[in-house]
Formats: sequence, C-alpha cells, structure tokens
Amino acid sequence: MSFSYNYFAGVDVGSLAAKAVILKDGDIFATGLLKSGVNSVESGLSALNLALDAAGLKKEDLTYIVGTGYGRVSAPYANKAVTEITCHAKGANYLHPTVRTIIDMGGQDCKAIRIDEDGAVVDFAMNDKCAAGTGRFLEVMAEVFKVKLDDLGAIALSATDTVPMSSTCTVFAESETISLVARGEKPENILNGIHHSIANRIAGLFSRVGIASDVFFSGGVAKNTGMKSAIEQALKVTIVRPEIDPQLIGALGAAVIARSFAKKEGLWA
Amino acid sequence: MGLKTLDKISAALQSRPLELEQLRKEGKKVVGWLAYNIPEEIIYALGLIPIRVGQGGDGRLVEVGARHISTKNCVFVRQALGQFAEKTDPYIQQLDLVAIDATCIQLYRLEELINFYFGYKTVVLGVPRNFATKEGHEYFRKEVEFFTKKLEEFAGVTLEQSKLEEAIDIYDGIREAIKTLYKYQSLDNAPLSWREVSSVINAGYNLDRAHYLELLKELIVEAEAKLSEPSRRREVEARIFLSGSLIPPGDTKLVDIIEQLGGRIVGDDLWSGLNFFLNLEIKEPTPYGVADAYLDRVPHGSLPYLDLKSDGRLANLKHQLQEFGADGIIYHTLRYCDAFTFKAGETKEVLGKLPFLEIHTEYSGSDFEAIRTRVEAFIEMIKSKKEIAELV
Ligand code: SF4
Repeated sequence: MSFSYNYFAGVDVGSLAAKAVILKDGDIFATGLLKSGVNSVESGLSALNLALDAAGLKKEDLTYIVGTGYGRVSAPYANKAVTEITCHAKGANYLHPTVRTIIDMGGQDCKAIRIDEDGAVVDFAMNDKCAAGTGRFLEVMAEVFKVKLDDLGAIALSATDTVPMSSTCTVFAESETISLVARGEKPENILNGIHHSIANRIAGLFSRVGIASDVFFSGGVAKNTGMKSAIEQALKVTIVRPEIDPQLIGALGAAVIARSFAKKEGLWA
Repeated sequence: MGLKTLDKISAALQSRPLELEQLRKEGKKVVGWLAYNIPEEIIYALGLIPIRVGQGGDGRLVEVGARHISTKNCVFVRQALGQFAEKTDPYIQQLDLVAIDATCIQLYRLEELINFYFGYKTVVLGVPRNFATKEGHEYFRKEVEFFTKKLEEFAGVTLEQSKLEEAIDIYDGIREAIKTLYKYQSLDNAPLSWREVSSVINAGYNLDRAHYLELLKELIVEAEAKLSEPSRRREVEARIFLSGSLIPPGDTKLVDIIEQLGGRIVGDDLWSGLNFFLNLEIKEPTPYGVADAYLDRVPHGSLPYLDLKSDGRLANLKHQLQEFGADGIIYHTLRYCDAFTFKAGETKEVLGKLPFLEIHTEYSGSDFEAIRTRVEAFIEMIKSKKEIAELV
C-alpha cells in the first residue's frame, strides 16, 4: 500500500536569517534556518534545501512554495510571494488559533499585528525609523558587551537595577552604552535598561492597533527571554510561547498559505 | 485605449510655458499661487493668469530648499522653496507675483522666505483658525477684500462684477466637471483611472481656465461614450482611498507602489485632489460672497477641529469613503507636515473599523521598500477580507 502526501513550503528571507518550513499535508514536517547572505535568492534556496534535506525530499516533491520576508520580491523558486505580515498572522494562527495579537521582532524591523479568529490580519503597524528595537540593534549591543547574542536576555534578567537608556538610534545607543560602562554601571543593569527601552517603544506601536489576548511573540528576537519579560511588563500582558522556534513563524505561515493557494488552484484537494 | 482628450490636455500643457511667455510679452501678468484658500476667481476676473505652483517628489530640490530652512520643516515646503530658489521650473520662471494663503502656517512662512531670500513679489491672504464663527467670516471677508485691492493695484484694473460672474461660471463648471470625472473613475466600467483624473486636475492649474473647461467638457463626452461599452469584469480588487497630506504633481511614489501591487485608487480627500473642488458655492458674486464660500467648504487639515463630531473634514471623508465604495484608506503624511500627522490617530479612531494604513514618508526613495511592504500587506489584508475567507 502506498500513501501519497502533499508537501508545501514557506521560505522567509529576512535581513539576518533565511528560514524554510515544509508542511506534509497539514503538519510541520521539516525546517531549515541559516544566516542570510547578501544574495537573497541564494539564501532562500539554501534554507529551502536545508529543510528539503531534513525531510528527505527534492524540490520537485513540493506542490507549492510561498516566499516571504524582504527576499520575497526576488524569489524565483516560489510560486507566489506574500508579505511577512500576512505570513506571521497565518503562522501564529496555525499554532495557536486563540492568538489575536502578534509582536514580531526581526532583524531589521518590528511589527505589531492584530488578527482575527481565521488568522486574517485586521490591522498592523511597523516601526518606521531605524534599527531600534530590532535584532540588529541587539546584535550591536551584544558586540559592545562582548557576549553572545543568545545570552543577552538572560543577562538582562539577572539585573538588580534598570539603567535608563535614552537613545533609540543604534549608533547613539552604542555610544551611550559605552559612556554608561565608563561611568561604572553594571552591564546587566544597562542591558536591562536597553531591553525596557525597546519594550516601551514597542508599546508605542500598539497604541494605534490595540492589544487583545492572546499575545504571541515571533521573530528572531522572540528567543530573547529578557525581551519577552520586558514586553510583558510594558504591555501588561502574558505572552504565549510558541512550541517551535519563533524565528520560523513567518516561514510556517508562508507554508500554510502555500497549502491554501494549492487548494485554490486545484493542485491539492 | 486611452481617451484622446487626455492627449489633447497633455499637448496643451506642453505648449503652455511658451504660451505664457508670449502672453507676458503682450502685457499679461502671471500670478503663481499656493495653498487652499486663494480665490482664483478673483485673480482670473482681474485679467491676471493664475498658475498653481509647487511640486513634490524631488529629493534634490528638497535639499536646495533646506539650505534656507530647517530640515525639520515640511518636505513639500522645502521642495517648493528649492524650486523658487533654482528658478528652473518653466512656470516659476513666468511668475510676476506669488499669492499664498495662511491656511497652513508652513506655507505662509514660504511666502516670507521667497520674498526675503529671492525677492519674489508676494501677497498673503490671512485665514482664520476659528473659521466657522461670525468673527472668522468677518475677518476673512476683510482679508479677501484686502487681497482684491492688492491685486487690483498690481493688475492696474478694478474688479468688475460682470467679470467676476464670468469667472465664477467658469470655475463652477470646472468644479462640476471634476466631480463628474471622479465619479466615473470609481465605477466598475471606469473610462479613466484615478491617476488620469489626478493628472487632469494638475494640468488644469496651469492651463487657461476657459480653455480647460472646454477640454473637460470634451473629456466628459468622450468618457461617457465609453461608459456605455460593456463593463469589464474586474478581479477581486482592493479599492483604496487616499487621505492626509497633499500628493502634488511629481510625487508619484505612493501611487506607483499602490498600482504596482494591484491596488486600485478610487478616491481621495486630498487638498491636491478632490477636496479642492467640493462644496464651494458662491452665492453672491462679490469678494465677500467669494470669501464666505471659500470658508464654508471642507476645511483644510491644518485648521483646527472646532467640534470633532461635526468636523467638516471628517464628515466629508466619511461621506466620500461611502460614495467611492472604498475598502480601505491609506492615510499619507509627509515628513514634518504637522497638520495631517497630528490628525492621523484621531482620523483612524473616528473611522472605526475601516482598514486604515498610515504611511509617513518624504521625497526620497530610501523608504520605497518599507512602504511597499506595508502597502502590500494592506492590500493582502483587504483582499483576504474579500477573498481569502474562502481560501483558508
Ligand atoms: S499642510 Fe502639510 S504638506 Fe501642506 S504645506 Fe502644510 S505642512 Fe506642508
């Protein structure tokens, strides 16, 4: 007896990482994640190949591919391109149908997304200006303190105090941090201040779109426990934890949408 | 196939700078004007040639303007200042006088600056903040009267009632025609697009108004003939309404993005768009009558809310959204345009559940991708409301 499955892929190429998720019919089957390079097509393909290898599949086995993230505009391997906003909404809804609010913090921007019970976006706002409140900002801070990016949140959580940080521009924040260190402030307290200052800016994004439970945190920065806690305090909410790597949510949503497109186009019953 | 009259209009526009040059040689005078409340009828009735100036979308000119003012001033004003400074624009070259009204305080400053730095001859028209009151009307009547006197001196003639009546007729005709074109562009079987209507409006500000009215009439006849053709079936579309800061000629970034992503603009309440032509009913052909009519129309965003519930701009916005069957609104604000930026939040709240996207931008390409992502997601959101419900 032979079973034939349908496979759908979502590929999310962001500024810092490329991600891919493969769905086997309706279930998450394989994932791929790597640092993205300057060539977004190559990055997307590498992430997809990583997921295909993990799944033991070939690209031809995929029924439909949706590309997302800033790399979606040039993703020749994808059947369609959908924005990361729509994809994060679908990804969060797939994992937690009760989610109504998403905070997505990626490498170069941050988004506040409101969704309905079907995972359709009803409103959203994106940070406008700069790298403040993004993965890139935290990367710079990790370099300043010579610690691993992954440890940043835990260090902040060990703080005994919060040193206020007034700059939100990455360049100014870097020099402000250096002068705070020179003043003798403890790194963990400075980092705690940085996390809270970012969280407060994120709270500002929600003033336009509002918040409703459940609240979900996606994107690379969502792995940072210090940021999660600072946002929970700033927004006075409890954040739902995804059971997969939060950095994969956009690619997951893209795969879910790929499945829907395949159905609509009669490629899958 | 596009409408032939549109080609005629662009041809007329092409030859207009030369025509103006010739007219000036014959002794005619050109009045460049800017803002929302300059009563063009009076300029025209005095035998002067009104030309609306001010363009957008040119980062280089913004930098030229910024040599004289702060980079924290409205980007449109910075570019306008750049244009006045450089004097390479074929219309700016033809100006004998510049009239600016004080509806938006930043434009009012522009008047002072072009006079101070570059010696342009200018005239200012004061605009009251409390525009709905009796005192506000009295003030504006006096301002229009003073404005008329200044122009009379400049033109060397006195305003004749018959000439003003003639001018009002022409302008009423133009207003009606533009409203008709707006209606047509929003239909399923639209004979022309919003972008085309917008370029027709912009052309009109430079052409001779009587000639322009003839062209508009011709355009409407041609458009109506197309309306009777069978309607094309359109796919699920995202019908976008534009609001916020002006989108002047030359500033095509947002419109290009919306159209490239498959959105369809179906209306606006911009002062560079439809609002300018709405609710202007001159009951008495005198400067006072003209003043009252201008003050009573849809207020410009830089004027205060007198009462949020009865605010004319918001009431008009709600009405137009319905009229044009908009699925969502893109509220566009220019960097340092306080007038509209301050009002974005309230506008969104007043409109309730209608999909609302704020785009804050300026005249450079650096935010192109960021805007593109937002607009694309917004269009997806609208379309998914209409279509993806069945998809997922
Ligand atoms: S209303 Fe806004 S865009 Fe227009 S001149 Fe004033 S500040 Fe500039």
